[in-house]
Amino acid sequence: MPAGQRKPVDTKKIKALLDQHKGKIQVSLAACASCSLCAESCFLYMGNNRDPHYMPSYKWISSLGTIYRKRGNVDSTFLEKTQDRIWKNCVLCMRCYCPFGIDIPGLIALARGMYRSQGFYGMYPYTAGAPEACGSYTTDESSTQEPGTAGAGTGK
Amino acid sequence: MYELARGPLMWAATVIFLAGIVYRSIQLYLLTGKKERVLYTATPVKPKDRTPEERKMDFIIAFRHSLLGTHPIMAIISTVFHTFIFIIPIFLLGHNLLIYESWGISLFSLPDGLCDTLTAIFVLIGLFFLLRRLIVPQVRIISTAYDYLVLAITVAPFLTGFFAYHQWFDYKTVIIIHMLVGELMLITIPFTKIGHMVFFFFVRILIGSEHSFWRGSRTW
Ligand code: SF4
Ligand code: SF4
Repeated sequence: MPAGQRKPVDTKKIKALLDQHKGKIQVSLAACASCSLCAESCFLYMGNNRDPHYMPSYKWISSLGTIYRKRGNVDSTFLEKTQDRIWKNCVLCMRCYCPFGIDIPGLIALARGMYRSQGFYGMYPYTAGAPEACGSYTTDESSTQEPGTAGAGTGK
Repeated sequence: MYELARGPLMWAATVIFLAGIVYRSIQLYLLTGKKERVLYTATPVKPKDRTPEERKMDFIIAFRHSLLGTHPIMAIISTVFHTFIFIIPIFLLGHNLLIYESWGISLFSLPDGLCDTLTAIFVLIGLFFLLRRLIVPQVRIISTAYDYLVLAITVAPFLTGFFAYHQWFDYKTVIIIHMLVGELMLITIPFTKIGHMVFFFFVRILIGSEHSFWRGSRTW
Protein backbone atom coordinates (compact mmCIF):
# COMPACT_ATOMS: atom_id res chain seq x y z
CA MET A 1 0.00 0.00 0.00
CA PRO A 2 1.65 3.21 -1.09
CA ALA A 3 2.13 5.53 1.81
CA GLY A 4 0.54 8.65 0.50
CA GLN A 5 -2.27 10.79 1.69
CA ARG A 6 -4.80 8.66 3.36
CA LYS A 7 -8.48 9.12 3.33
CA PRO A 8 -9.78 9.96 6.76
CA VAL A 9 -10.93 6.91 8.66
CA ASP A 10 -14.59 6.11 8.25
CA THR A 11 -15.30 5.44 11.90
CA LYS A 12 -18.93 4.71 11.12
CA LYS A 13 -17.91 1.65 9.15
CA ILE A 14 -15.56 0.53 11.91
CA LYS A 15 -18.23 1.02 14.53
CA ALA A 16 -20.70 -0.99 12.48
CA LEU A 17 -18.23 -3.86 12.25
CA LEU A 18 -17.48 -3.62 15.97
CA ASP A 19 -21.18 -3.74 16.71
CA GLN A 20 -21.70 -6.70 14.46
CA HIS A 21 -19.06 -8.72 16.30
CA LYS A 22 -19.41 -7.16 19.71
CA GLY A 23 -20.18 -10.43 21.45
CA LYS A 24 -17.15 -12.24 20.16
CA ILE A 25 -14.78 -9.37 20.90
CA GLN A 26 -16.17 -8.67 24.32
CA VAL A 27 -16.22 -12.28 25.49
CA SER A 28 -12.67 -12.75 24.23
CA LEU A 29 -11.40 -9.58 25.88
CA ALA A 30 -13.16 -10.50 29.12
CA ALA A 31 -11.67 -13.96 29.18
CA CYS A 32 -8.11 -13.31 28.00
CA ALA A 33 -5.94 -13.38 31.09
CA SER A 34 -2.90 -12.01 29.26
CA CYS A 35 -1.10 -15.19 30.19
CA SER A 36 0.85 -15.53 26.92
CA LEU A 37 0.48 -19.29 26.88
CA CYS A 38 -0.58 -19.02 23.24
CA ALA A 39 2.87 -17.72 22.26
CA GLU A 40 4.67 -20.97 21.52
CA SER A 41 1.83 -22.35 19.44
CA CYS A 42 2.53 -19.79 16.68
CA PHE A 43 5.24 -20.90 14.30
CA LEU A 44 5.92 -17.33 13.22
CA TYR A 45 6.63 -16.41 16.82
CA MET A 46 8.95 -19.39 17.21
CA GLY A 47 10.54 -18.78 13.82
CA ASN A 48 11.31 -15.15 14.56
CA ASN A 49 13.43 -15.68 17.63
CA ARG A 50 10.42 -15.40 19.90
CA ASP A 51 9.89 -11.81 18.92
CA PRO A 52 6.97 -10.79 21.16
CA HIS A 53 5.41 -8.84 18.27
CA TYR A 54 4.48 -12.21 16.83
CA MET A 55 2.64 -13.31 19.96
CA PRO A 56 -0.83 -14.40 18.84
CA SER A 57 -2.76 -12.49 21.49
CA TYR A 58 -0.62 -9.38 20.99
CA LYS A 59 -1.59 -9.31 17.35
CA TRP A 60 -5.30 -9.08 17.99
CA ILE A 61 -5.35 -7.25 21.31
CA SER A 62 -3.09 -4.44 20.09
CA SER A 63 -5.11 -4.00 16.91
CA LEU A 64 -8.74 -5.07 17.18
CA GLY A 65 -8.70 -4.97 21.00
CA THR A 66 -7.46 -1.39 21.04
CA ILE A 67 -9.96 -0.31 18.40
CA TYR A 68 -12.74 -1.89 20.44
CA ARG A 69 -11.62 -0.18 23.65
CA LYS A 70 -11.50 3.14 21.82
CA ARG A 71 -14.97 2.40 20.49
CA GLY A 72 -13.76 2.67 16.95
CA ASN A 73 -12.33 6.16 17.32
CA VAL A 74 -8.98 5.57 15.71
CA ASP A 75 -7.15 7.50 13.03
CA SER A 76 -5.28 6.34 9.98
CA THR A 77 -1.96 6.79 11.76
CA PHE A 78 -3.02 4.15 14.23
CA LEU A 79 -4.18 1.80 11.49
CA GLU A 80 -1.02 2.34 9.52
CA LYS A 81 1.16 1.76 12.54
CA THR A 82 -0.58 -1.43 13.56
CA GLN A 83 -1.48 -2.99 10.21
CA ASP A 84 1.59 -5.20 10.03
CA ARG A 85 0.53 -7.00 13.17
CA ILE A 86 -2.46 -8.52 11.44
CA TRP A 87 -1.30 -8.61 7.85
CA LYS A 88 2.36 -9.38 7.98
CA ASN A 89 2.86 -11.06 11.35
CA CYS A 90 0.12 -13.64 10.91
CA VAL A 91 -0.73 -15.98 8.05
CA LEU A 92 -4.04 -17.17 9.53
CA CYS A 93 -2.85 -20.74 9.66
CA MET A 94 -5.10 -21.37 12.67
CA ARG A 95 -2.50 -23.26 14.62
CA CYS A 96 -2.45 -21.00 17.64
CA TYR A 97 -4.03 -22.44 20.69
CA CYS A 98 -5.35 -20.63 23.72
CA PRO A 99 -6.23 -22.64 26.83
CA PHE A 100 -9.42 -20.61 27.09
CA GLY A 101 -10.33 -21.47 23.56
CA ILE A 102 -10.17 -17.87 22.41
CA ASP A 103 -10.52 -17.82 18.64
CA ILE A 104 -7.34 -15.89 17.94
CA PRO A 105 -7.25 -16.42 14.15
CA GLY A 106 -10.92 -15.52 13.96
CA LEU A 107 -10.23 -12.26 15.76
CA ILE A 108 -7.25 -11.48 13.55
CA ALA A 109 -9.38 -12.21 10.50
CA LEU A 110 -11.99 -9.87 11.90
CA ALA A 111 -9.34 -7.20 12.37
CA ARG A 112 -8.26 -7.70 8.79
CA GLY A 113 -11.77 -7.05 7.59
CA MET A 114 -11.84 -3.87 9.60
CA TYR A 115 -8.50 -2.63 8.28
CA ARG A 116 -9.49 -3.60 4.77
CA SER A 117 -12.64 -1.53 5.07
CA GLN A 118 -10.36 1.47 5.54
CA GLY A 119 -8.04 0.64 2.69
CA PHE A 120 -5.31 -1.04 4.69
CA TYR A 121 -4.64 -4.23 2.81
CA GLY A 122 -1.99 -6.77 3.24
CA MET A 123 0.08 -6.94 0.11
CA TYR A 124 2.71 -8.97 -1.54
CA PRO A 125 5.40 -9.65 -0.91
CA TYR A 126 4.87 -9.46 2.74
CA THR A 127 2.15 -11.95 3.00
CA ALA A 128 4.56 -14.21 1.19
CA GLY A 129 7.00 -14.01 4.04
CA ALA A 130 8.66 -10.62 3.91
CA PRO A 131 11.92 -11.25 2.10
CA GLU A 132 14.83 -8.95 2.81
CA ALA A 133 14.06 -7.02 -0.37
CA CYS A 134 10.97 -5.81 1.38
CA GLY A 135 13.00 -3.94 3.96
CA SER A 136 10.89 -0.83 3.79
CA TYR A 137 8.12 -2.72 5.47
CA THR A 138 9.35 -2.77 8.98
CA THR A 139 7.69 -4.50 11.86
CA ASP A 140 6.13 -2.08 14.25
CA GLU A 141 9.40 -0.92 15.69
CA SER A 142 7.95 2.39 16.69
CA SER A 143 5.79 0.66 19.27
CA THR A 144 8.46 -1.68 20.49
CA GLN A 145 8.33 -2.10 24.22
CA GLU A 146 11.19 -4.51 24.47
CA PRO A 147 14.53 -3.08 23.54
CA GLY A 148 16.54 -5.40 21.38
CA THR A 149 13.65 -7.28 19.87
CA ALA A 150 12.76 -4.87 17.12
CA GLY A 151 13.67 -5.91 13.66
CA ALA A 152 13.68 -9.58 14.46
CA GLY A 153 10.80 -9.81 12.06
CA THR A 154 13.02 -9.21 9.09
CA GLY A 155 14.26 -12.72 9.53
CA LYS A 156 17.59 -11.93 11.09
CA MET B 1 -14.99 0.19 60.96
CA TYR B 2 -14.49 -3.45 61.88
CA GLU B 3 -18.20 -3.98 62.37
CA LEU B 4 -18.96 -2.14 59.15
CA ALA B 5 -16.52 -4.24 57.15
CA ARG B 6 -17.69 -7.45 58.75
CA GLY B 7 -21.38 -6.77 58.44
CA PRO B 8 -22.96 -4.54 55.78
CA LEU B 9 -19.93 -4.28 53.51
CA MET B 10 -19.53 -8.04 53.44
CA TRP B 11 -23.17 -8.43 52.53
CA ALA B 12 -22.92 -5.76 49.88
CA ALA B 13 -19.83 -7.39 48.39
CA THR B 14 -21.45 -10.81 48.30
CA VAL B 15 -24.60 -9.50 46.68
CA ILE B 16 -22.66 -7.48 44.09
CA PHE B 17 -20.48 -10.50 43.40
CA LEU B 18 -23.39 -12.85 42.79
CA ALA B 19 -25.60 -10.33 41.02
CA GLY B 20 -22.61 -9.18 38.95
CA ILE B 21 -21.91 -12.69 37.75
CA VAL B 22 -25.54 -13.21 36.81
CA TYR B 23 -25.69 -9.81 35.09
CA ARG B 24 -22.49 -10.32 33.12
CA SER B 25 -23.50 -13.83 32.15
CA ILE B 26 -26.83 -12.66 30.80
CA GLN B 27 -25.18 -9.70 29.08
CA LEU B 28 -22.59 -11.86 27.31
CA TYR B 29 -25.21 -14.47 26.50
CA LEU B 30 -27.44 -11.91 24.83
CA LEU B 31 -24.51 -10.37 22.97
CA THR B 32 -23.59 -13.64 21.35
CA GLY B 33 -27.03 -14.64 20.19
CA LYS B 34 -26.14 -14.38 16.54
CA LYS B 35 -24.85 -17.51 14.90
CA GLU B 36 -21.33 -17.09 13.66
CA ARG B 37 -19.76 -18.77 10.76
CA VAL B 38 -17.22 -21.33 11.81
CA LEU B 39 -14.51 -21.29 9.22
CA TYR B 40 -12.93 -24.49 10.19
CA THR B 41 -13.73 -27.08 12.78
CA ALA B 42 -11.22 -29.40 14.26
CA THR B 43 -12.10 -32.86 13.06
CA PRO B 44 -10.79 -35.34 15.55
CA VAL B 45 -9.71 -38.48 13.79
CA LYS B 46 -11.40 -41.33 15.58
CA PRO B 47 -8.75 -43.99 15.83
CA LYS B 48 -10.13 -47.26 14.51
CA ASP B 49 -8.36 -50.56 14.87
CA ARG B 50 -5.46 -48.97 16.66
CA THR B 51 -2.95 -51.34 18.15
CA PRO B 52 -2.04 -50.76 21.81
CA GLU B 53 1.28 -49.23 20.71
CA GLU B 54 -0.47 -46.83 18.38
CA ARG B 55 -2.89 -45.89 21.10
CA LYS B 56 0.03 -45.18 23.35
CA MET B 57 1.59 -43.00 20.68
CA ASP B 58 -1.71 -41.18 20.16
CA PHE B 59 -1.82 -40.45 23.84
CA ILE B 60 1.79 -39.27 23.96
CA ILE B 61 1.28 -36.97 20.98
CA ALA B 62 -1.93 -35.57 22.43
CA PHE B 63 -0.21 -35.06 25.76
CA ARG B 64 2.78 -33.31 24.25
CA HIS B 65 0.46 -30.88 22.52
CA SER B 66 -1.49 -30.20 25.68
CA LEU B 67 -0.69 -27.34 28.00
CA LEU B 68 0.88 -29.77 30.42
CA GLY B 69 3.18 -30.96 27.68
CA THR B 70 4.15 -27.56 26.28
CA HIS B 71 4.24 -25.49 29.47
CA PRO B 72 4.56 -28.03 32.29
CA ILE B 73 5.82 -25.56 34.90
CA MET B 74 3.19 -22.93 34.15
CA ALA B 75 0.46 -25.56 34.01
CA ILE B 76 1.33 -26.92 37.44
CA ILE B 77 1.94 -23.54 39.08
CA SER B 78 -1.22 -22.12 37.62
CA THR B 79 -3.30 -25.10 38.72
CA VAL B 80 -1.95 -24.81 42.26
CA PHE B 81 -2.68 -21.07 42.30
CA HIS B 82 -6.23 -21.49 41.08
CA THR B 83 -6.93 -24.35 43.47
CA PHE B 84 -5.58 -22.47 46.45
CA ILE B 85 -7.59 -19.37 45.65
CA PHE B 86 -10.71 -21.43 46.42
CA ILE B 87 -9.64 -23.75 49.18
CA ILE B 88 -7.75 -21.28 51.37
CA PRO B 89 -10.59 -18.81 52.01
CA ILE B 90 -13.31 -21.46 52.13
CA PHE B 91 -11.63 -23.91 54.49
CA LEU B 92 -9.79 -21.44 56.69
CA LEU B 93 -10.57 -21.97 60.37
CA GLY B 94 -10.80 -18.24 61.09
CA HIS B 95 -13.36 -17.71 58.33
CA ASN B 96 -15.39 -20.69 59.44
CA LEU B 97 -15.43 -19.42 63.02
CA LEU B 98 -16.92 -16.14 61.78
CA ILE B 99 -19.58 -18.04 59.87
CA TYR B 100 -20.24 -20.16 62.95
CA GLU B 101 -20.60 -17.07 65.13
CA SER B 102 -23.10 -15.61 62.69
CA TRP B 103 -25.16 -18.57 61.63
CA GLY B 104 -24.22 -21.42 63.90
CA ILE B 105 -23.06 -23.55 61.00
CA SER B 106 -19.57 -24.26 59.83
CA LEU B 107 -17.72 -26.00 57.04
CA PHE B 108 -14.89 -28.42 57.41
CA SER B 109 -11.72 -26.53 58.26
CA LEU B 110 -8.09 -27.14 57.43
CA PRO B 111 -5.51 -26.91 60.22
CA ASP B 112 -4.22 -23.38 60.68
CA GLY B 113 -0.61 -24.32 60.11
CA LEU B 114 -1.42 -25.91 56.78
CA CYS B 115 -3.44 -22.88 55.65
CA ASP B 116 -0.54 -20.68 56.63
CA THR B 117 1.83 -22.66 54.41
CA LEU B 118 -0.67 -22.71 51.54
CA THR B 119 -1.08 -18.94 51.82
CA ALA B 120 2.66 -18.42 51.75
CA ILE B 121 2.87 -20.57 48.61
CA PHE B 122 -0.01 -18.63 47.07
CA VAL B 123 1.66 -15.28 47.69
CA LEU B 124 4.94 -16.58 46.30
CA ILE B 125 3.18 -17.74 43.14
CA GLY B 126 1.62 -14.27 42.91
CA LEU B 127 5.12 -12.85 43.08
CA PHE B 128 6.22 -15.29 40.40
CA PHE B 129 3.38 -14.10 38.15
CA LEU B 130 4.38 -10.50 38.78
CA LEU B 131 8.02 -11.14 37.89
CA ARG B 132 6.98 -13.15 34.85
CA ARG B 133 4.82 -10.26 33.68
CA LEU B 134 7.67 -7.83 34.19
CA ILE B 135 10.49 -9.88 32.74
CA VAL B 136 9.28 -12.35 30.11
CA PRO B 137 8.98 -10.37 26.85
CA GLN B 138 5.91 -12.12 25.45
CA VAL B 139 3.98 -11.55 28.67
CA ARG B 140 5.24 -8.04 29.14
CA ILE B 141 4.17 -6.90 25.70
CA ILE B 142 0.51 -7.68 26.40
CA SER B 143 0.55 -6.52 30.03
CA THR B 144 -1.07 -3.23 30.87
CA ALA B 145 -1.47 -1.43 34.18
CA TYR B 146 -4.81 -3.18 34.36
CA ASP B 147 -3.19 -6.62 34.42
CA TYR B 148 -0.93 -5.60 37.28
CA LEU B 149 -3.86 -4.12 39.17
CA VAL B 150 -5.88 -7.29 38.76
CA LEU B 151 -2.98 -9.34 40.07
CA ALA B 152 -2.61 -7.00 43.05
CA ILE B 153 -6.33 -7.23 43.85
CA THR B 154 -6.09 -11.01 43.74
CA VAL B 155 -3.06 -11.37 45.96
CA ALA B 156 -3.78 -8.56 48.44
CA PRO B 157 -6.41 -10.44 50.51
CA PHE B 158 -4.04 -13.36 50.93
CA LEU B 159 -1.05 -11.20 51.80
CA THR B 160 -2.98 -9.20 54.38
CA GLY B 161 -4.49 -12.39 55.75
CA PHE B 162 -1.00 -13.76 56.18
CA PHE B 163 0.05 -10.60 58.02
CA ALA B 164 -3.03 -10.76 60.21
CA TYR B 165 -2.45 -14.40 61.14
CA HIS B 166 1.10 -13.65 62.19
CA GLN B 167 -0.04 -10.47 63.91
CA TRP B 168 2.52 -8.42 62.04
CA PHE B 169 1.95 -4.69 62.16
CA ASP B 170 -1.10 -3.41 63.98
CA TYR B 171 -3.48 -6.37 64.00
CA LYS B 172 -6.66 -4.33 64.13
CA THR B 173 -5.69 -2.20 61.12
CA VAL B 174 -4.41 -5.17 59.13
CA ILE B 175 -7.56 -7.21 59.69
CA ILE B 176 -9.75 -4.31 58.56
CA ILE B 177 -7.62 -3.84 55.44
CA HIS B 178 -7.83 -7.60 54.91
CA MET B 179 -11.61 -7.52 54.98
CA LEU B 180 -11.80 -4.49 52.72
CA VAL B 181 -9.49 -5.88 50.05
CA GLY B 182 -11.27 -9.23 50.26
CA GLU B 183 -14.55 -7.48 49.60
CA LEU B 184 -12.94 -5.44 46.83
CA MET B 185 -11.84 -8.67 45.18
CA LEU B 186 -15.35 -10.13 45.35
CA ILE B 187 -16.84 -6.98 43.84
CA THR B 188 -14.32 -6.78 41.02
CA ILE B 189 -14.55 -10.42 39.94
CA PRO B 190 -17.57 -10.06 37.64
CA PHE B 191 -16.43 -6.78 36.09
CA THR B 192 -12.74 -7.32 35.48
CA LYS B 193 -10.43 -9.90 34.01
CA ILE B 194 -10.64 -11.86 37.25
CA GLY B 195 -13.99 -12.79 35.77
CA HIS B 196 -12.19 -15.40 33.70
CA MET B 197 -13.20 -17.49 36.67
CA VAL B 198 -16.63 -17.55 34.99
CA PHE B 199 -15.88 -16.44 31.43
CA PHE B 200 -13.46 -19.30 31.08
CA PHE B 201 -16.46 -21.51 30.46
CA PHE B 202 -18.07 -19.00 28.13
CA VAL B 203 -15.59 -18.70 25.33
CA ARG B 204 -15.96 -22.19 24.02
CA ILE B 205 -19.71 -22.23 24.43
CA LEU B 206 -20.72 -18.81 23.17
CA ILE B 207 -18.22 -18.22 20.42
CA GLY B 208 -18.07 -20.20 17.24
CA SER B 209 -14.53 -21.29 16.57
CA GLU B 210 -12.38 -24.28 15.95
CA HIS B 211 -12.09 -24.96 19.65
CA SER B 212 -15.69 -24.38 20.63
CA PHE B 213 -18.13 -26.94 21.89
CA TRP B 214 -21.27 -27.62 19.91
CA ARG B 215 -19.67 -25.51 17.17
CA GLY B 216 -20.14 -22.47 19.35
CA SER B 217 -22.67 -19.74 19.15
CA ARG B 218 -25.30 -21.82 20.83
CA THR B 219 -26.42 -23.73 17.81
CA TRP B 220 -27.62 -26.70 19.83
S1 SF4 C 1 -5.26 -15.42 24.03
FE1 SF4 C 1 -5.43 -17.09 25.51
S2 SF4 C 1 -3.36 -17.95 25.75
FE2 SF4 C 1 -3.18 -15.96 24.71
S3 SF4 C 1 -2.79 -14.49 26.38
FE3 SF4 C 1 -5.02 -14.52 26.07
S4 SF4 C 1 -5.79 -16.08 27.50
FE4 SF4 C 1 -3.58 -16.39 27.34
S1 SF4 D 1 -3.05 -18.02 12.79
FE1 SF4 D 1 -1.56 -16.36 12.93
S2 SF4 D 1 -1.20 -16.12 15.13
FE2 SF4 D 1 -2.18 -18.10 14.85
S3 SF4 D 1 -0.46 -19.57 14.68
FE3 SF4 D 1 -1.01 -18.94 12.58
S4 SF4 D 1 0.36 -17.22 12.12
FE4 SF4 D 1 0.39 -17.51 14.36
